[in-house]
Amino acid sequence: MAVAETDARSAWLGAMPRVTKMAALLLLTGLLLVMCLVSLRVGSIGITNDDALNAIFDYSPESYEQTVVRSLRLPRTVIGMGVGAALAVAGAAMQAATRNPLAGPSILGVNSGAAFGVVTAVFFAQITDPLYFVWFAFAGGLATSALVYGIGSVGPGGASPVKLALAGVIVSALLGSWLTALLLLDQQTLDVVRFWLVGSLAGRDLDVFYNVLPFFAIGIVGTMLIGHQLNILSMGEDTARSLGMQTGRMRLLVAVLVVLLAGASVAVAGPIGFVGLAVPHMVRSLSGPDYRWVLAYSLVVGPLLLLSADVAGRIVAKPSEVQVGIITAVVGAPFLIAIARRRRIAEL
Amino acid sequence: MSSRLLASPEFGKRPPVRFVQLGRLAFRVNIRVLLLIGISALALVALAAWALTLGSFRLPLADVLGALTGSGTDDANFIVLDLRLPRVLVALMIGPMLAMSGAIFQGLVRNPLVSPDIIGINAGAALFAVFWIVTGRSLQWLPIVAFIGAVVAAMSIYILSWQGNISAARLILVGIGMNAVFSAGTSLLIIRADINDASRAVLWQAGSVYASTWSDVRVLLTTLIILVPSGIGLMWALRVVQLGDMTARSVGMPLERTRLALILVGCGFSAVAVSIAGPIGFVALMIPHLARMIAGPIGGGVLVFAGILGALLVLGSDMIGQHALPVTLPVGVITAALGAPYFLFLLYRMNTQL
Amino acid sequence: MTRLQAENVTLAYSNNVAVVEELSLAIADGGVTSIIGPNGCGKSTLLRALARLMTPRGGTVILDGEAIHSQPTKEVAKRLCLMPQQPDAPESITVEDLTRRGRYPHQSMLQPPTRKDQIAIERALTLTNMVELRDRSVDELSGGQRQRAWISMALAQDTPLLLLDEPTTYLDIAHQQEVLELVEKLNQEDERTIVLVLHDINNAAQVSDRVVAMRAGKIIGEGSARAVLTPERLEEVFGVPCDTVLDPDSHRLISIPRSRIDTARKLPANPIGPPLTAEKLSSGYGKQRIVTEVDLAVPKGQITAIVGPNACGKSTLLRTFARLLAPMDGVAYLDEQPVQVGPHRDLAKRLTVLAQGAVSPAGVLVEDLVAVGRYPYQRWWRQWSDADQQVVDEAIDATGIDNLRWRPIETLSGGQRQRVWLALALAQETGTLLLDEPTTFLDIAHQIEVLDLVWELNRSEGRTVVMVLHDLGQASRYADFIVAMKDGRVVAAGTPEEVITERLVADVFSVRSKIGRDPQTGSPLVLPTRNQPVAVPAG
Repeated sequence: MAVAETDARSAWLGAMPRVTKMAALLLLTGLLLVMCLVSLRVGSIGITNDDALNAIFDYSPESYEQTVVRSLRLPRTVIGMGVGAALAVAGAAMQAATRNPLAGPSILGVNSGAAFGVVTAVFFAQITDPLYFVWFAFAGGLATSALVYGIGSVGPGGASPVKLALAGVIVSALLGSWLTALLLLDQQTLDVVRFWLVGSLAGRDLDVFYNVLPFFAIGIVGTMLIGHQLNILSMGEDTARSLGMQTGRMRLLVAVLVVLLAGASVAVAGPIGFVGLAVPHMVRSLSGPDYRWVLAYSLVVGPLLLLSADVAGRIVAKPSEVQVGIITAVVGAPFLIAIARRRRIAEL
Repeated sequence: MSSRLLASPEFGKRPPVRFVQLGRLAFRVNIRVLLLIGISALALVALAAWALTLGSFRLPLADVLGALTGSGTDDANFIVLDLRLPRVLVALMIGPMLAMSGAIFQGLVRNPLVSPDIIGINAGAALFAVFWIVTGRSLQWLPIVAFIGAVVAAMSIYILSWQGNISAARLILVGIGMNAVFSAGTSLLIIRADINDASRAVLWQAGSVYASTWSDVRVLLTTLIILVPSGIGLMWALRVVQLGDMTARSVGMPLERTRLALILVGCGFSAVAVSIAGPIGFVALMIPHLARMIAGPIGGGVLVFAGILGALLVLGSDMIGQHALPVTLPVGVITAALGAPYFLFLLYRMNTQL
Repeated sequence: MTRLQAENVTLAYSNNVAVVEELSLAIADGGVTSIIGPNGCGKSTLLRALARLMTPRGGTVILDGEAIHSQPTKEVAKRLCLMPQQPDAPESITVEDLTRRGRYPHQSMLQPPTRKDQIAIERALTLTNMVELRDRSVDELSGGQRQRAWISMALAQDTPLLLLDEPTTYLDIAHQQEVLELVEKLNQEDERTIVLVLHDINNAAQVSDRVVAMRAGKIIGEGSARAVLTPERLEEVFGVPCDTVLDPDSHRLISIPRSRIDTARKLPANPIGPPLTAEKLSSGYGKQRIVTEVDLAVPKGQITAIVGPNACGKSTLLRTFARLLAPMDGVAYLDEQPVQVGPHRDLAKRLTVLAQGAVSPAGVLVEDLVAVGRYPYQRWWRQWSDADQQVVDEAIDATGIDNLRWRPIETLSGGQRQRVWLALALAQETGTLLLDEPTTFLDIAHQIEVLDLVWELNRSEGRTVVMVLHDLGQASRYADFIVAMKDGRVVAAGTPEEVITERLVADVFSVRSKIGRDPQTGSPLVLPTRNQPVAVPAG
């Protein structure tokens, strides 16, 4: 009965009254706004508050600083917000649907599929304009996750979490080998895509973002609406079904929403790891187990984390910068290790 | 779960197990596993002989045999002994090392999804190696640097997982985390590097036995001679570890010491293999499954069988990558391309049990 | 009138072996129906099919005159609720939130919680007596409280039909009574139709209006508890003869499965088993102290049973004796030597422990598993010997598993598996055998089978046996010495007659009871009495 031991701290935080939860959420939102401003200001050239705000609300094209904000800093801040929110929300939904704390949006093979799409396009169609990458990435991610879901749900049991994870790992590996082969055969392709292959918010065009904005919107709104359903789904197959939920359909819906979110993210910013995995864990100690709160917190903490990582990447290697995908991995992994060490984990 | 099992003709029958005593050594062997080892070893010898005849200059088998037995022409001697044999031998030895490493880790953490590639050991080796490549240092030292990387990775994973004991689940989680850190570092290096260095780094990461030398062969052979007997000896303990911590303790096993020994041997295999050939994927993950499916639960004999299967896969993949395709591809690309569909088939077959 | 019934239902999992065959059953409205039967007879599978969690291969389940599978899931969930066996709650969820989730079928996507939801939740919490615990996290609750929290969620679903799968497993006798009384209350005061799957026949007798006895996927007896739970029928169902005792309180017959032991048989004069002692022994997990300052002397060569409520520290004490846990304070001695000192291998030649929930990887054969017991006698260069083979053969003979010898473990039944693990322990050739709840998961026949075997192992050579048991009747039948624990301390120790008294049961388990006599051995038998008198239903 050792399993029954509790982490008294998390229990206490989980039982916080609604008012406190709401206040903490507002506080985090405030922090996010501050972080947006920081993201507009920090970089190879420093920018004042006035310039940053004027660039948005009272733009004068003559000002060099304001032009920098408009053309470089604003896009990456906006994209960081969108991608951070999308990945975090998708991660939370995935963890609820699979009941696996290790599940993230990449479990369905979206990232490797997107990379596959882009590299194939560059190699065979000689496309070099990142503006077009988005569609190949999106298509590759979508097709791959459909394949993974299809393989994972063959057989009488349907799409069980273990089968999905296995199928995801394997399909990713297969695509990875294809990718390596292409990159080895053609150095030019490698040169074009190696920057894309590491997730980054820099140098992405806002137009790219607007292209996939509808997917972000549908994905985020859709996921926020099914918070209650995710609560029920996370209670396990039998309980959810005896409460009258059609778990197969619900899982499929979650998969579709996650793929929209993760596919759009990877299309805009390349594969960024760990945000989807880590953010839901981070917020759970504040939000408690209710997925409606988890989603709400993820929506705020995801962008906060991603923007912070992006800003950190700009500071550590000034005047150049470190890609945000690398920072999130380096920051996120110790976090994962800390979870592994703090919690009394049952056997997998 | 059990209908197929119940229907199989061997169900409930005595397996062909014999007790063997050789001086102070005494153990039990399964004749069926022994037979499988024999058959697969024969297949391996045949494949290796074939591999020696292939190349831009085709040699008949007789010439190859002549060169091997010391009675060949000078040309044949040069082509076989200096060019082809080292490569074939390296492929032959890399496969078993990866497969056995995978078998040990899968048994240790009782999770079929674990292999040294997933818990970050290969990624550690890759980070060090890529750093060495992109900083333009002497490639002669590359294997040693990669080895150090693998050992550093293994040590850090072990230390971070230690909390009075090593829990399998914690080891996996920490491993996945470290894997991400090392991979991120590698990506950073590749982005920052000159494109030619980056290209070489990607080539190394694909895993290849291209340009193997006799010194590689010596390193691998020494490792195999040291580690294979320890691996086989430890299998006897592994079968107890697999019954869970409680049972292992109750039959008097010093669990942490055994785990450490298993991790050391598993890492040793993986680190040496990666240092010579780069991180060849999928062998460590897939071959142990295949071996267990054919030959039964893991044990000393099955470990050897897995090793031979690994050799077959790596050698076969290298032959395909070198000769069968219009372009030459490194072996690591082929093992994944061959392995993944097979694994999907396995998944399809097993899916009633998951 | 019946709202829920199965008609010629055939059920199978993916391997096409029918678990339930052509079974028809009508659930009586307004009553409590219990489904009983041996492990693997298909009772839980049937319950899942009745709750629409499983599609029959043949036949239909009918709810309110319509095939259940043709009705929308939410409609079904408004009328019928299944509480699965051992559900696991999301981490740190509160009782109230858990209960609230039961309202799911009554809510639509964007509709805010209504007053009706809140009323149903309050009512569910009140009925299950969980009002005071509503803000507590489910993880922090005791076993019985947790079971009540889940029932509270099921009640919030507000369905006239309630299906509960093994609601009393893992619970000690006080918590079992708590759950059973709640079931009666729900049926009588709240007029719910309740279907239970139970493996304890006396629990079934206590609450059911109707009992359905199943064996091998078929119903072989159906009727009132008195009609079905007869010794003849029980022998037919479980394959073990039973005695009956009249419960003086409720005038119900209590069935007691009969052992094949000879109680007259004396303990061996020169037992091979050494004594076990604890001196001011404390231990636990992490920083949490679960066993506190226990002084105990376990007599040599006898069977000792440790009893106590859930979470009283009995398993922890056993594990400390077995060196699976290090003591925080004090010393545990085996034959006057501290168990903590010296190589593990040496201890494993003198003491073996059968822990709860031992696992085995797929494909391992019975003999290979038993052979693992030889580990302490082997070295990596000497992995086997003729002596090893002989001991393994003897262990396999002694546990009667020779016919299973070459079968993979996963194809065995629960009772067979438990015997294999016992054979492993025997192959260790130790004088001391520690067992942690060796009968959990097993039906009555298998329980008796395993305990008879343990008794035989003790009486043949005088091994010292210490086992944790949760059934007090079995403990006093098999044990020579009983240790009662509560809150990490030993409350009483002595012969069953000395320890098992009405007063001690009240103190330790917080249950009022009468002590009867075991019809076979004359040992004390605990007959729990109701905490509150229940009104006799009219008619």
